[in-house]
Amino acid sequence: MAEFDPVAMLRTLVQHGVRFVVVGGVAARLRGAPLVTQDVDITPDGAASNLQRLAEALIELDARLRTAADPDGVAFPIDGAMLSAARSWTLVTAHGDLDIMLFPDGTAGYGDLVRDADDLIVSDDGLAVAVASLSDVIRSKEAAGREKDRAVLPLLRRTQEELGRA
Amino acid sequence: MASGLLLREARRRAGLTQAELGERAGKAASAIGRWERGEVDASLETLIELVRAAGFDLTVGVTVADDHDLALIRRCLARTPAQRLADLTTAVRAFDRMVAIRG
Repeated sequence: MAEFDPVAMLRTLVQHGVRFVVVGGVAARLRGAPLVTQDVDITPDGAASNLQRLAEALIELDARLRTAADPDGVAFPIDGAMLSAARSWTLVTAHGDLDIMLFPDGTAGYGDLVRDADDLIVSDDGLAVAVASLSDVIRSKEAAGREKDRAVLPLLRRTQEELGRA
Repeated sequence: MASGLLLREARRRAGLTQAELGERAGKAASAIGRWERGEVDASLETLIELVRAAGFDLTVGVTVADDHDLALIRRCLARTPAQRLADLTTAVRAFDRMVAIRG
């Protein structure tokens, strides 16, 4: 099993010039919610050139399709056109699990999320990535409506209330 | 704020627009919007009524206060984003090691 290293994963994406927003549980964590999640969720800009850069980053990350049957993942041909053919991809990489969601539930994708995103420093050496607002993370989890999403909503809302007081 | 988020969650889970929920509950769509955005706080009675109009029951009760989550939130908020991600990384790796040991 790959050792979880979200900074290394994000750094590879940045080094390849990929435009993306961190969403989901890691975004919530970066915003101050004490969530524990084992995968990094991102929403890339869906432009063809950006998806091609994403494909190149994924190749460097040794990305494979994540399946219940095979925890090491299944190799697949990665290119920008392939990535544009689905709304989401669940992958395992050399640095842990990575979920790519072009249109997270309840959102219109990158353009929608980047509006309220902020560039946050995520490592000691100053790596900055765009991180979705906590409101947008909550919005998406509300729309997804899965049990695991609903379960964390009280914690996220309470964090948002605390941020509002700060 | 919390009442607005609950109202919006109920409406969206029901797949209703603000106008549709307003029609069901006998309220103006603009009022639903103000409540959802937290511009005005809905009373508890109104919130229960609106959530019910969306097809859900809002369960409200009194329990002994548990400040554990709040303490964790405040501790997390006191950290920088980089520290928060480092804390997460440490927690996940520890969990993975535990799982590996247990086989």
